[in-house]
Formats: sequence, structure tokens, C-alpha cells
Amino acid sequence: MKKVNALILTGFGLNCDEETAHVFKISGAISHKVHINELVSGKVKLQDFQILAFGGGFSWGDDHGAGVIQALKMKNHIGKDLLSFVDEGKLIIGICNGFQALINIGLLPGFDKDYTKRNVSITYNDCGNFRNQWVHLTTNSKSPCIFTKGIDMADYPVRHGEGKVIANQAVIDRLLSENQVVFQYADDKGTLAKGAFPNNPNGSMADIAGICDPTGRIFGLMPHPEAYTHFTNHPDWSRKAELLKREGKSLENEMTIGVRLFKNAVDYIKAAGL
Amino acid sequence: MTACIEIALKKELRDAEGLSLIKKAGSYFGVTIQEARCIHIVTIDSDLDEKALERAKDEIFTNPVTQVSGLKPLDIDFDWCIWVGFRPGVKDNPGATAMEAIQDHLGKTFDPDEGIYTSKRYCLKGETLVREDVEKLASELLSNSIIHQFRIFSKEGWDKTRGADVKPAKVILDRTPCFQIIGIDSDEALAKISDERNLALNKKDIPVIREYFLSNAVLESRKTKNLSKPTDVELEYISQARSDHCNHNTFRGIFRYKDATTGEEVIENSLFKTYIQEPTLRLKDKKDWVVSVLWDNAGIGRFDDHHNYVITGETHNSPSNMEAYGGAITGIVGVYRDPMGTGLGSKLFMGSFGFCVGDVNYNGPLKPPLHPRRLLDGVIEGVKDGGNKSGVPTTFGQTLFNPGYMGKSLVFVTALGIMPDQVKGKPSHEKRTNAGDLIIMSGGRVGKDGIHGVTASSESYSENTPAGHVQIGDPYTQKKMHDFLLICRDEGLIHYLTDNGGGGLSSSIGESARFSNGCVVDLDKVPLKYEGLDMWEIWVSESQERMTIAVKPEHLERFMALSAQHEVESTVIGEYTDSGKLHIQYKGETCAYVDMDLLDKGFPAWEFDAVWIFPEARGFTEPVISSPSDFNSLLLHMLSRPNICSKEWIIRQYDHEVQGGSVIKPLSGVKTNIPSDACVTRPVLSSKKGLAFSQSLLPWYSKIDAYHMMTCTIDEAVRRLLSVGGDFNHIGGVDNFCWPNIQFDSKKNPDGKFKAAQLVRACRALKEACEKYEIPLLSGKDSMYVDGHLEGAFGERIKVSALETVQFSATSVIKDVAACMTLDPKASGDFVYVLGKTANELGASEYYEIFDKIGLNVPQVDFEKFKVVYKALQIAIENRLLASCHAIARGGLGIHLSYMAMAGGLGMELDLSALPMDTTRGGLHNETLLFSESAGRFIVTLPPGNKPLFEKLFKGLPASCIGNVTDQHDHLKITGLDKKAVVDLSMNQLETAFQKTFGDMI
Repeated sequence: MKKVNALILTGFGLNCDEETAHVFKISGAISHKVHINELVSGKVKLQDFQILAFGGGFSWGDDHGAGVIQALKMKNHIGKDLLSFVDEGKLIIGICNGFQALINIGLLPGFDKDYTKRNVSITYNDCGNFRNQWVHLTTNSKSPCIFTKGIDMADYPVRHGEGKVIANQAVIDRLLSENQVVFQYADDKGTLAKGAFPNNPNGSMADIAGICDPTGRIFGLMPHPEAYTHFTNHPDWSRKAELLKREGKSLENEMTIGVRLFKNAVDYIKAAGL
Repeated sequence: MTACIEIALKKELRDAEGLSLIKKAGSYFGVTIQEARCIHIVTIDSDLDEKALERAKDEIFTNPVTQVSGLKPLDIDFDWCIWVGFRPGVKDNPGATAMEAIQDHLGKTFDPDEGIYTSKRYCLKGETLVREDVEKLASELLSNSIIHQFRIFSKEGWDKTRGADVKPAKVILDRTPCFQIIGIDSDEALAKISDERNLALNKKDIPVIREYFLSNAVLESRKTKNLSKPTDVELEYISQARSDHCNHNTFRGIFRYKDATTGEEVIENSLFKTYIQEPTLRLKDKKDWVVSVLWDNAGIGRFDDHHNYVITGETHNSPSNMEAYGGAITGIVGVYRDPMGTGLGSKLFMGSFGFCVGDVNYNGPLKPPLHPRRLLDGVIEGVKDGGNKSGVPTTFGQTLFNPGYMGKSLVFVTALGIMPDQVKGKPSHEKRTNAGDLIIMSGGRVGKDGIHGVTASSESYSENTPAGHVQIGDPYTQKKMHDFLLICRDEGLIHYLTDNGGGGLSSSIGESARFSNGCVVDLDKVPLKYEGLDMWEIWVSESQERMTIAVKPEHLERFMALSAQHEVESTVIGEYTDSGKLHIQYKGETCAYVDMDLLDKGFPAWEFDAVWIFPEARGFTEPVISSPSDFNSLLLHMLSRPNICSKEWIIRQYDHEVQGGSVIKPLSGVKTNIPSDACVTRPVLSSKKGLAFSQSLLPWYSKIDAYHMMTCTIDEAVRRLLSVGGDFNHIGGVDNFCWPNIQFDSKKNPDGKFKAAQLVRACRALKEACEKYEIPLLSGKDSMYVDGHLEGAFGERIKVSALETVQFSATSVIKDVAACMTLDPKASGDFVYVLGKTANELGASEYYEIFDKIGLNVPQVDFEKFKVVYKALQIAIENRLLASCHAIARGGLGIHLSYMAMAGGLGMELDLSALPMDTTRGGLHNETLLFSESAGRFIVTLPPGNKPLFEKLFKGLPASCIGNVTDQHDHLKITGLDKKAVVDLSMNQLETAFQKTFGDMI
């Protein structure tokens, strides 16, 4: 079987490359951490990979809007390669700063397969501050998103100061009606947060935490699934583990919902034979 | 041509920055603002034409979905407008990234005299706003005169076309760099120059310096380079190297320690050697996990068969005290360079903070440089930006309030890194420079910022303290450098590296050249932020985000190629030699030429008189307070006190999970809102091993005796580690001393001798604790002048000194993180045990502080007895007998039972009469049992089935079952010695009290 090669962007203040590379590796891909300038210079070719990850971090310090300068740089230097990558049926994931970059490039939401238009924005949290907190997410089962197949609910941490998804109401309505909204903030039962803090940590319209393009192959989200690759990452793990132990069970060998998301991507590429 | 782009959020969108201003204006100053909108201004000083500017505006700086912008002032209505920009020369991070963006997007190359500067203006609407209010907001909330400038516009005074008329904050020095020859005809002459130039030379060093430069051999040798008398570059070099910050003169000084009661006198020749170095070296021999201590930028311990961890801790007090944000961000970004520059370089994997500030609600007459509230806001934000943007999780931290810190606040920052134990088959912790190696400076450029930072932090704060040493750290530039250097390390391109921190190149090159025994440096090669710096300024500037690296000539090409790829500036600025000389040139002309061993030439040790007076002799007694009758209200009051209550709002601003290794987070419990004992991180994601980290601060005990402050602080740090599953056989320590001035002066520092004795006692305690618990000190630092002279109501200045403070950090390696513990009780029916005895030890406790009392019975540590309990506890945790574990710390049992109850979200029923007790220090009452801060104690819960094994393990040890966890109610119910109810509080009551103090902060 062909190997699945995942490219994880690095450099210019990006910082989740290590754990993103790790999770792709344990999901069955070969992880390649590639400096943005290696793509710009042509030393590394995007076409040699099947999955592209725009990871978290503070690209260019997020000084002029989160993910803005990164988006410009990618668009200017490898814009065409990105579009061919999408055309070839490959997968792109953008997490946190990477989601912001995908939005600013225009790869998301990708209405009518136009992957260059900015019509969504991710702005400052309503709470006015950076916030690190675990959130409950509920998944839209009708969404075409490749990454979330078989996932009903997920807990991941958010860690951002700018995570509020906004757009004009027509755009939000279309995202909802075309099932491009993948993850929404919810309570622990899966009921939508309806904007209430802290279940919705940033005030995102329609509780949106993650969206995909119409094909489901480009996916962006504010929470960090790559931060939940080990059972001890979850804030409740020690309580769960203790209670399970009393039933003679253990958490240790379960695949986390973080890993599952990446494994979905790797399995898709394997099945597609790309 | 200068152009200004103004950018604002669309009118209908919420302006978070404006809302935050409205909130603070109201709560801090009682100023009502109806509406506040923030406009970002990008001032471009370049030859870009109108078309290019339009493109930059639209394509780079404006988000089409959320923002509006213009090359003309935006027409946003206001009653008052405040413009705030940086002063020239202050690091403008967004300005620098704007240049990168324009360079990339428009293909524009910026000339040295072009630049981009960012600023903001705030449009305020408020019917009642008057100029005085607006000035207050501008000067006390939005700007700090040290780094900012502001202008205020009234509605009437605003010109809609000119707008704020922002000029580039460009530095123009307009001078030809030079060096000066300094006359050293007499000691007095040199002392005078030292004062004039702010060299802070010690009086006793002056004759040694003169003797060196006046000796014939030196004069002969200098003649060959056309030098005779010392240059300013040379004296600055000596000043930096001999400063207390770099040389630790206090800890290497001679103390005449006298016990006032017995009259006995002991001479302490070096606190460092006796109490830190010797015990640590002995322990290093005993503990094979200790890899490298006492010489490098940070200490190194073994993590697993292939990795070592690196740790160090720093303070950044003086700068933070004047410019809180700048000081704190520079502090955390700065301490992160230490592990980066340890051995051949490590990857950062966690950091922590410790803030000690005055009362945030202070409204007395004293005028600190920054009000504690503003200072705390600033340091929180500084560590947030510095830590988060570095991509390093801030996994632990404490915030502490005491009036003594109004004189000078403390900002502790700690950094941990991880490195492979081998690089290209060689040990990664070893490094040296060799003759022929190139000296490379990588990272940021050099400017006037940070000059004389080291000498300023070695002095008490006064109105004459130069403000020029306050900087703003740049985590973005440093993160690029961090990633770049790790790749260079792995390719074997680095032979030595160290950071440029205090003392700049003077320290980094001065110290690294000692290995090869010489260097030649061409200062004219050093990249500058702007022209016009004198040689000595380039040499000692502390401009941040720079590393000094030794690279072999054959590796230069590859090194530079990687540097270019990462867009990190690297420059060859000289060469290491074996000439025995530190040789500095500027365009070929020698401006410094001294022997490498100059600093070993018999500079005298500092001397201190220390007089210890026992607390009894100082008149300390136990206060007379009868037993309270309303324990419910008392406990709720205790929970709401600033040093006990929730500081969740601070911790959540810090990314504590980036890098994916989080196991025990800074907050635990069903609502993840109770402070954890310690944090645990997996720095190697493929491994199940974890690194546990804890810190303790108990400065209050210094009021009675700094000896017990030290032992209790270390004991608490150790118990915190053990509580999460730490290994008692592997505990590494880091000591961070912050002390008021100890040099006696009958007028300026009349209690200096006592404070010196406190320091000696703390060091003795440090050694005892480290030896008994077998803790090698992997790293440590001291900051010795924690005093301020604050202006009072009548124009007088009052000296305010901080409590003698030590932050102790502890590390341990956990074999399998699956065994880690948290403090939350997990199941109804579980038993609650207390380990360790409670004694009448309320001295300097939180309880006594309510009544403004100190008392006498400070908690004491009985190392031998405690150790046995700790080892048994470790076995219990490793064998998974426990469901939860928590170290009893500040506030005592009552507070820590409350923490556990809230963390578990379950009821608890407890009986104080069942506690293990120690009556040797006096009788025990309900309040002593609830609030005594006796060391050596834990609360644990366990399932009933584990009781027999647990009790067998603790047979003969102080461990008693005091009650159980229940889901029948959600109350904390405690009965007293007479079995009658003393506390019965619902979860809701506890949480309300715990949250309310800072409840509206997010």
C-alpha cells in the first residue's frame, strides 16, 4: 500500500508542529515538518504529499490579524500549488492559527468551489482575552467532513484570543444549511451552547467551532484535536481512570477522539489510493 | 514620504479592546465612558507610492469581513480621542512584522532609514468625560511614559484631515561612534567616573582596576595596540562582569554572622560555596540522574535513556516594576533563552510564573512607580504574550499579595527544556570554544535599549534609576531563532552557544572566550537597529533575542543557509583565539585589549555584618485570641482572601497545553478550577514518562525566621511533587532568592545586619533541606535589592522592603504518567485520611494575618520524621491505592479540605478529633487544627477496599482516617474536638467565597 505523507508547516512563529507531526505519525502517516520557506523556495514540493496541515501558533506574531500574513505568503508563493492540491482530492486541515490562515486565504468556506474569497472572519473573543479551556463539541452528522466521520461528540481544548467566527448572516445561514458547519460548541450533553460563555468560549456565531469546504476535504477548526492524543491529556482523565479501575477497566488502550480525527484523514487517503 | 493607514473594526462589531478600556476606566478610576473604539495606525516611512500604499492597506492590513480602513483619518465620532505610540527606540514588534509583510507582498526592500511604526488611537464618547479624566486614562491606563508617548484631542481640537498627525518614531542619534580614554590618576577620579557613568563599580574594586592598568607589563602589552589608560569599553566590561547580577558578589561575600543572644560569631566565607555548591556536588556524585550543574546557563537532569531535561529560574523585578508589560515579557522571553543556550541547546517545553505584588486595592498615600493593580495587569499580560507566542506552555504559577512588594514587585519566570542526550554521538551537555571558531551573533539587532540593565537591577529603585533599561521582548523573533538553532544543533553545527542576557555581548563573549582563552571581536560588524551607538554601548547593550554561537569555519556556509531559510539574522562578528586577550576592535582600531584572566585578579570579596536576634528576643509572642464561635463565616472569609482565593482568570490566559504533553494541568477538579499541587508534562510524546514540576512561596514565615521560611518552602514544594506522583528519589531544585538590601548603613539601611543574618539562616536551611531530602540544586539565582523608596503624602520618601522571599521550584521524573494523582476526591464512600501531625503552628499564618498578628510558632520541618511518611506515600501512589492526594499548604487544613471538596464536587464528613496531633508546641483547639500551617501534611482519599493495605503501609506513622466522601449531600461538614459541628457549608457557599474576590476577571 502507498504511504500517506503528511506535511506539517513550520516556521515564522507556528508552534504546534511537534504534536501535529506526532498525531499523524500515530495515525499511520509519515509526518514531515516543513518550513514555509522550503515550500516557497521550491525545495519541497507540495505535490509530494497527500495531507497538508496548517497548525496552531502565532504566525508573524499575529500582529496584523491572526493568520493574515501567513495567508498572504502562502497565497503569493504557492497559491496555485494549493489549488491543485485541492483539485487532486487531497486533504487540508487548519487548526487554530491554521484555521485563521485557511479563512484568510479563502480555502474556507470555499462556496461554489471558489477557494480565494474571504467571506468569513475569525476575530477577538467576546471575553476580551486569550483563553485556554476544554470545550465540548457536537458534530454535524450530515457534514461531508472527512475528518469527523464517526465522531458524534468531542472534547478538545481551545487556546486562543481570536476564535470568534463571524460573517454576515447569509454566509452563516449558508454554512449551516449546506452542512459546512462541522463542529459546534455545546454542553457536556451535546446541547448547543447558544452563545453562552464559557461553553461557547469566544462568542462565535451559531456556536461555530469548525467548518469544512463543500467537498469535506478542507477542514478548519479553532479547538486543538492534536492536543488530545494521549488519554492523560483530558482534564477529567484521572477521575475517569479511577472510576473505571473500580470496574476492572482502564482508559489506557482507548484511542482518543483526538487521534481518531487524524486517523480518519489518513484512512481516507489510504482508501482513495492517492 | 510618511503615510498613515488607519484600521478599525466595522461599526456594528464588538470592539473588545474598547470594552476592556470602558471596564477598567470604570472599576479603576470611576470614570464613565459610554463608547470606546480603537483605531490601529500603521505609519509607513518609505518611498512607497500611493498605489502600493493602497495595496498594502487593502491586501495586508484590512480584513474585508470585519474592518474598515483608510489612508486618511477614519471619521469615527468621539468626545475625546487619545493617541498612544511608542517612544523612539522602543521595540515595535507589529512594526517589524508589517515590514516583513510588505517586503514579501509588494517586493519592497526597505532602506535603513525607512521604517514602519504602529500606534493606536482611542475614540471615547462620554457625556461626563473631562480632560482631566482623559489624561488619567492616557497616562495611567493606556500608556507608560517610559516607553510610550500620548496626545489628547478634544472634539473641538480635532482636524479631520490631519488626524493624529503621527510622525515616525525614528531614532536619530546623529553622532559618530567613538570610544573614550578614562583617566585613572587616583581612586577618587575613577570613583567619580563610576558615578557619572553609572558604572556602579564597587569601591574596593577600584584600586584593583587601577593597579592592573597601571602595571608595567599591562602598559607594555597595551602599547602594541596603541592603548594606555583604560577605555570606556574596558571599564564597562569590568563593570558588567563585577556586577552583583553577573558575579553574585553577595552570595560569594564574607559574612560576619553574630548571634545577638549568645554573642557567638561565625565567619561565613561564601554562602554559595558552603550552602549551594558543596552539597550539590556531593549529591551529584550520589545521584546518577544529575547530568550538569553549576556552570552552564541552566542545570541538566536525566529524563530517560535518550533525553535530558534542562531547568532554570529567573526574576525580572526592576524593569517590571517600572514597565510591567515590557518587564514581564522580556523576563519570560529572556529566561527561555537560558535552556536554549544550555549545553548545545534544548527545546523549550514548559514555563512557569510567580508574581508577588502589593495590595491591588491599595488606596493609601504611597506612590509606587505603578499601582499594584496596574502592575499586576501588566505582568500578567507580559507573561501571556511572551509565553503563548513562544509556543511554550505555561503550566504552573502563583500570585501572591503582600504590602512589602509595593516597594518592588517580584516577577519570577522559570523555564524547562528537553534535549537528546547525544548530538552526533557526543554528549549534548558539553560544549567549549576553540581558537579559530567563528563568533556568530544570531537573532535580534543591537540598540540602545537595555543598556545598564544589569547594574540597575543591582541597585534599589530610586528616582534616579535610568529607565532606558526597560525593553519589550519579541517572542516572534526568538521563536524563529529557537527553531533554527535546534536544527543547527542536530546537524552538529554548534560547538558552543549561550544567550545574550544581562551584560549583552560583554558577558556572552567574555565568558565563552574563557574556554579558548581569547577572542577578537569586530564591533563594527554587529548589526544595529540604528546608527550612532558608541562602541561600549554595542558591547554592553542588552537588546533581546540574541544568541552568541561558536561555529567552525567549515560549517559557516551551511549555518548561514539555514539562518537565511529561517529568516533569522546571523553575523560573524569575530573569532575565538588562544591569545589570552580579550581584544575588541572597531573598523580595525583597538578599543579594548585586556587579559582574559583580568577578572580573576584578586578582586576583593564583598563583606557584610550579620546580626541574628531570635524572635523571642525581638519581642514576638503568640497573640491572645479566643476560639471563634462562627467557623462557617471564618472559613468563607479565609477562602475569599486574595492569597487563598481563585486566580483562575490568570491561569486561563496562559496556554498551558501547547506541545501536547499535558498530564496534570494547573487547574484540577470537576470544574477544572482548583489549583493543582503541581503540574505534569510529557516532554517526549512517544514516552509514558512525565516531568512533574512544583513551586512554593512562603515569604510570610520570614517575619519570624527566614530559616523556617526556607525549610517550609522546600518541604511544601516536595510535598506538592509527591502529591501528583513524584519520585522522592529524584527531586531537582531551583532556588530563586529575592532579598532586601543587606548591606548595613546606619542611615540608609539600619536593619541591614538583621536582613543579612536572615540570608545566612536561609542558606543554612537550604543546605539542610537539600541534604536531608537529597535535592541537588540544578539552578538558582538571586536578586538582592528588593526595596523601594516611595513617595508619601507629604513629599517624603519612605523605604518599603519586601519580605525575604525564596521561590523554590522542584522537578521529578515520573515513570508512568498513568499513576499520576489529582486532588479531587472521586467517589462517594471513599475514606479521607490526613498524613502528618498538626501542631500549634499558627505563627505568620494566614489565620493570624486576618487579625494583623504575627505570633511566634512558625511551622518547623522535621526532615527525618517526614521522610518516612513521604516514602510510604510514594509507595501508596505507585501501587494505585489512592484516589486523590493533596498537600496541605497556606491556610491549613480547613482551606485545603475546602479545595478538595470543591474539586471533587462531592460532600465530605470529617472529624477533627481524629487528626494526628502533636501537642509539643502547645494546646490544640479547633482553630489551630483547621488553620495551623504545620509542614509535612497531606490529605488523601482511598476506596474502602484499599484500607487494609494502606493502613499496613502506614503502620506506626502519623496517618488517620478523619472521615469520608459522600454523595448524600454536597456539604463540607466538619466536627470539632468535642464532636460538635464546627463547619457545615454547601458547595455553593464555598465556591462563591472562593470565586468572588476576582470573580469578574476573565
